[in-house]
Amino acid sequence: MTMRTNLIEVYIQEVTRRLPEKMRSDIALELRSTIEDMLPNHHTVEDVKDVLNQLGNPAILANGYKDQPMHLIGPRYFDVYMSLLKMIVPIAAVVSLITIITKYFIGFSGEEALLNSILSLIGEGIWTLIQVGIQVFFWLTITFALLERFDKDKEQLPLTSGLEKWTAEDLKNVAYISKKKTISKLEIFGSLMWTAIWVTLYFYANQIIGVYEGDGGPLEFVMPALNQDVLQQYGLIVLIIAGLEIAFALYKLLKEQWTKRMAIGNTLLEVISTIVFIIILIKPNFLSEEFVVYITNLFTITKEQFNVWLIGGTIIILIITAAASIYDGFKKANIR
Amino acid sequence: MSNLLNSLKIELRRGTLTLAVLSQLRTPQYGYSLVQSLEGAGISIDQSTLYPLLRRLEKQELVSSSWDTSESRPRKYYVLSEFGLEIFSELKKEWINNSKELYSLLGEGDDDENEFN
Repeated sequence: MTMRTNLIEVYIQEVTRRLPEKMRSDIALELRSTIEDMLPNHHTVEDVKDVLNQLGNPAILANGYKDQPMHLIGPRYFDVYMSLLKMIVPIAAVVSLITIITKYFIGFSGEEALLNSILSLIGEGIWTLIQVGIQVFFWLTITFALLERFDKDKEQLPLTSGLEKWTAEDLKNVAYISKKKTISKLEIFGSLMWTAIWVTLYFYANQIIGVYEGDGGPLEFVMPALNQDVLQQYGLIVLIIAGLEIAFALYKLLKEQWTKRMAIGNTLLEVISTIVFIIILIKPNFLSEEFVVYITNLFTITKEQFNVWLIGGTIIILIITAAASIYDGFKKANIR
Repeated sequence: MSNLLNSLKIELRRGTLTLAVLSQLRTPQYGYSLVQSLEGAGISIDQSTLYPLLRRLEKQELVSSSWDTSESRPRKYYVLSEFGLEIFSELKKEWINNSKELYSLLGEGDDDENEFN
């Protein structure tokens, strides 16, 4: 008798321990009376086992009572989850890579062997990518698993990325993308990388841009070419431009293709940044004095000639690349 | 093949289960008596599905429950609420209409086969 009772009690306990406190006693009572109903009057241990087998796995029974999903992310959220994952992972990867490369440039003293530095950079890069991937995956999954559990709206229809039910109106937001106007991930990666590189060069110009000398031995940084004080004066506005560039790159990543609005935004960005850089370039003490002296001695040209040649040349290159980028943007936006 | 057939069969039956249970609850029933009356009608139901289903129906206010402790063994009785009765008759109509439509649809298929033979 005890053996039989014991089996039943253990079964009931296995069910109820998985349930919220307030449901337990009522369900235990009902289960016990149901099991006794199912048993013949004079029953054996085998009868009890038979009945419990009919009721099945206590975990499944308990889950039925809880009315909660036995999955992390169900069909309702899976689509949104996947598209967010695909969008956030590359962004996080790019941002973290840029951080590493920037750190590398700042820390690069020129003393270590270049090959070693590059190898350790690659190693650190791969490791960081793995970490970032795991982090993004973890937090996004946690978020959606919680959403799945706390969403009281029990409608089982899958949601669109706006977390709304899909209607035909949504098609308006999904433009048909022709191959020629699409923006590749590589392009976005490239532009983010470029931003990181020029910002680094700008703020660490007195350690990176300048004259290097080496008599057969390792190169040594002799003198900076630019006047860091002048650059620092424009630091804030340059940072704003860099921020705008990053924002624009992320906007391109979201839109996936060139649009008129994007081309206009690109134009504004190019015009503003070109103007700002020209203003910085034509500052009289933009080039450091010692650098100008060094060059004029080296190439036997006058100070003015050198200024015109370098500053003028740089301005022309700036304007040409900006114009090319503006033209390219409108050309791609106009493709049907 | 037989696995697939089984899962499709289960899928077919799943929707009808609630209707079957509601139909039996026009008179008060406790868990096991419900199983017996369903089985008596040829409907076998997984018990680990049935008991949670009863709770869910109660939560949705389609059925109401009460404990009967007058006998030696306490039993929890379930019965359709007024709202549950309303829903049941709607579902019943729906099911009958659906069956008719499906029946004629399946009948068409048979005709085609006959023509080809």
